[in-house]
Amino acid sequence: MSGGTPVIVLNQNTKREQGRKVQLTNIQSAKTVADVIRTCLGPQAMLKMLMDPMGGIVMTNDGNAILREITVQHPAAKSMIEIARTQDEEVGDGTTSVIILAGEILAVSTAFLEQSIHPTIIITAYRQALEDMLEMASSRYSVDVDTNDTDKMHELIRTCLGTRVHTQWNQVACRIALDAVRTVHKERGSDGQAQEIDIKRYARIEKIPGGSIEDSCVLDGIMINKDVVHPQMRRRIANPRIVLLDCDLEYKKGESQTNVEIRQEEDFTRLLQLEEEYIKTVCQAVLAVKPDLVITEKGVSDLAQHYLVKAGVSVLRRLRRTDQWRVARAIGATIVNRPDELKEEDIGTGCGLFEVRKIGDEYYSYLVQCRNPKACTIVLRGPSKDILNEMDRSLNDALNVARNIVLKPKLCPGGGAFEMAIAHAVSEKGKALTTVHQGPYRALAAALEVIPRTLIQNCGANVIRTLTALRAKHAGTEPEDWMWGVDGETGKLRHMKADGIWEPLSVKNQVLKTATETAILLLRIDDIVSGTKKGGVEGAAAAAKAAANEAAQPAAGGDE
Amino acid sequence: SAMAGNANTSNLLMVSGERLTGESVRHQNVVAAASIANIVKTSLGPVGLDKMLVDDVGDVTITNDGATILKLLEVEHPAAKILVELAQLQDEEVGDGTTSVVLVAAELLKNAEELMSLKIHPTTIISGYRLACREAVKFINERLVISVDDLARDNIVNAAKTSMSSKIIGCDAELFAAMAVDAAMAVRVADGKGGHRYPIKAVNVLKAHGGSTRDSVLINGYALNCTVGSVQMPKRITNAKIACLDFSLQKSKMKLGVQLVIETPEQLELMRARESDLTKERVQKIMASGANVILTTGSIDDLCMKYFVEAGAMAVRRCKKIDLKRIAKATGGQFVVSMTNLEGEESFDASLLGQAECVAQERISDDELIVIRGPKARSAASIVLRGANDFYCDEMERSVHDALCVVKRVLEGRQLVPGGGAVEVALNIYLENYATSLASREQMAIAEFARALLCVPKQLAVNAAQDSTELLAQLRARHNASQVKKDCAAYKWFGLDLQEGKVRDNKEAGVLEPAVSKIKSLKFATEAAITILRIDDQIKLTPEAPPSHGGH
Repeated sequence: MSGGTPVIVLNQNTKREQGRKVQLTNIQSAKTVADVIRTCLGPQAMLKMLMDPMGGIVMTNDGNAILREITVQHPAAKSMIEIARTQDEEVGDGTTSVIILAGEILAVSTAFLEQSIHPTIIITAYRQALEDMLEMASSRYSVDVDTNDTDKMHELIRTCLGTRVHTQWNQVACRIALDAVRTVHKERGSDGQAQEIDIKRYARIEKIPGGSIEDSCVLDGIMINKDVVHPQMRRRIANPRIVLLDCDLEYKKGESQTNVEIRQEEDFTRLLQLEEEYIKTVCQAVLAVKPDLVITEKGVSDLAQHYLVKAGVSVLRRLRRTDQWRVARAIGATIVNRPDELKEEDIGTGCGLFEVRKIGDEYYSYLVQCRNPKACTIVLRGPSKDILNEMDRSLNDALNVARNIVLKPKLCPGGGAFEMAIAHAVSEKGKALTTVHQGPYRALAAALEVIPRTLIQNCGANVIRTLTALRAKHAGTEPEDWMWGVDGETGKLRHMKADGIWEPLSVKNQVLKTATETAILLLRIDDIVSGTKKGGVEGAAAAAKAAANEAAQPAAGGDE
Repeated sequence: SAMAGNANTSNLLMVSGERLTGESVRHQNVVAAASIANIVKTSLGPVGLDKMLVDDVGDVTITNDGATILKLLEVEHPAAKILVELAQLQDEEVGDGTTSVVLVAAELLKNAEELMSLKIHPTTIISGYRLACREAVKFINERLVISVDDLARDNIVNAAKTSMSSKIIGCDAELFAAMAVDAAMAVRVADGKGGHRYPIKAVNVLKAHGGSTRDSVLINGYALNCTVGSVQMPKRITNAKIACLDFSLQKSKMKLGVQLVIETPEQLELMRARESDLTKERVQKIMASGANVILTTGSIDDLCMKYFVEAGAMAVRRCKKIDLKRIAKATGGQFVVSMTNLEGEESFDASLLGQAECVAQERISDDELIVIRGPKARSAASIVLRGANDFYCDEMERSVHDALCVVKRVLEGRQLVPGGGAVEVALNIYLENYATSLASREQMAIAEFARALLCVPKQLAVNAAQDSTELLAQLRARHNASQVKKDCAAYKWFGLDLQEGKVRDNKEAGVLEPAVSKIKSLKFATEAAITILRIDDQIKLTPEAPPSHGGH
């Protein structure tokens, strides 16, 4: 009765892969991604030059930046690239490590899959190992740090920047990062306000080509890439009174649509007059509070400029909203929308000096010498745009490091020492396991060795010899033996505590968490179907939303 | 038009297309159903694995949920589509057990085809299946349910754990089960008849990548995925008085079609000033009522931001309507659609405000959330899920949703059944005996129904790479004993232990499922199978030519 035409159930474009093959290709593609950036780990890391389709060039050794530029086909590889983003957003550092570690964890899993150990068993073991590792990391393999010790903090940040371009830049970057973080740091308030370090919003990096790297600094205030709107305005004011506006200083029509029909000639003149009068009143309202400087997000008409110049007030216009926020926070002003409502409290008086400086061909307005700024601009100087961009990226890392340490002042030794110590401890603990979970449990520990191993590889030392020596050190019984790691430049063993090489624990913890969970996610997959419905997920989400809307109708009846 | 040509049936019908009848269409349908079941079967059970679905543009979904898998597949065969809809139905009605319902339906069809090859008429099979289903439901209700009393939180948690065991969060089922139960309890509302309803859709599930699975938290309050309107506003307000608005606080403008005729240019100027003052007055009225947190679905003009900043209030724009409705309910306030009162005046009364202990903007990963804690009128719950990447979080959300559904079913139905194939095997034994006792032509159909149920435990064992024949034999022996011997009654709780490859008392082990979901999935599967069995003729029209030449 069969033998007729084949039954077509799915769309014929659908491709499907199943079983062991899927697991192995997933692992393979994850490893491929890891291999791409393997050489970017450690102080001897090499830069990668990426060219985008438009012909632009990116030069970096930042894992996340590299992966962002790469287009990958395989879905599992996509998943890997996503985790670099997660890591970057969560702690802003360790993107390279997380990819390398995730790739390695998957690689060691291959052996178990080939022994036909069910993925769920491997996963359970990994999960357990992860918990144990995190517990050990915070209880045994980390030390507390005093965030008020400036020298120590500089030292710390420098280690984390060990891999970046210029050594001279390193010094500067550490100083800048710590200063900036301290500037924007808001302590835990008495009203229970959580402590806050919002670098993204309150510490802006401005790049000005030219000058030398050492000229880069954190301003005790804000710098804006603008000039005053009128050449006769003052370009240097000490202790200015500053008004911040987010409205136009020009005539703006009302919201409602208006049609004007004019019967008399005078009416038209009157209309024009009215517009001028409006500007005049607005300017008078502004001038009533006696400002020295007016900064607005919107435009300033020629007429308004005229009034303001006459009164000796300088004006900056068309600021970005985010810049305006920073200025408001730095000088203690409130942004005002209606000039007629300006009050004395709205005026910013926290700024010590307003000055327009000409650097190269461009004018920059400086609002500096702020008392207690809480927001700042970081000015970067450097010979070329590409170098500035790379400085920007590495400074971001430094800022994140500084933030992480200030928020969670716990450190662990760098140079692979932390990973070796955890690997050793977990592996020892795993020996006590009697179930089939023992293999994968200890394998996860072994996977951690990929970090010191890659460090050794990248500086060209003998991997086997060095790693064995390192293992021997960690098996030692002295209380601080676990702090032995690899010198990423020479490939020799070093005691991390003695040399002061530290990394924030929060980054390491996040690396462990993200890498392990990604491995779990990918190991659970035994079937890949491609060519499924386009936008199916959105459709589902929309449906769910519609359903939710229904449910929320008040006094909805039964739910079935 | 196509009358000329070979005179096959479709032409006699005056339609152009293909027609299949009788045995061949039945066979096709069964094959299609089986292939759908084949797709999802490996995701069944605690050792089932996930599927990765990649769509045309390369977006990836990783999931274990039968309904989601089928929804994303482009299924073309009509009978297969019925099964896809079946999974969807199960998902909407029950929220869990979508994979097993498809498996059972496909198995019922397969067995029906065997019966048909023995020349048993489909209508006989259908009535047999109906009878069997009815008997099965009766048997579950009478013999297999475990009642949950109010205090047995353990049982509820166990049911949630069972549902999650097959999912990516299976390892952390303990944590998430407790979370799901707490969340469901938090959104509990009285139904006015002495019982309670658990509108689990009111549990707000948010996702943020970063952290690890175990960093996921249950917030006793409502979390909004928004930020305060201006950075100058306070980030935290205690003793919050919350106004939930459904209008924009923007410069007012006249409605379309409204015309004002004015005489002098000065009046134009007045109109302009009035536009901004109107909104200002509104804001002042709202502030005068004592509100210090303003949430609106619309936008807030920069113009108004300053008033809020000065008053030390928090204003949040572009909130979702649904969120605000829930917040209004939870805080004892009202969702205000307009400020105009019955007299046509604008006013804002303090009684419209909701209250909460604290409203704060909190940072999670790179995102910021507004969290309303300690709402006055009733508790609320939000779950923030953390995971390695977005795919992970999406799958977690689906799993948590399933668990919440299960908790809801348990709390509302108050009845549980043992999981791990226990119910299926018990029904198998019972129905086979029942069939034997029946002296009508339905006997064989009922026996086949009984046999079809075994596909669930069988697949569970296969996924766990255990010896399904051996395990099933043991399990059936136990259940047979429980039904025939008085002193072996406790054997009826026996189900599979897939980690160890043994049979065990699943009631003891805490592997439990809500009875409602079992019963419903049985009914749905039967109905779906019957729907497909009734088909004996399939006409597939060739798609009409694009209407380039106009209609008629």
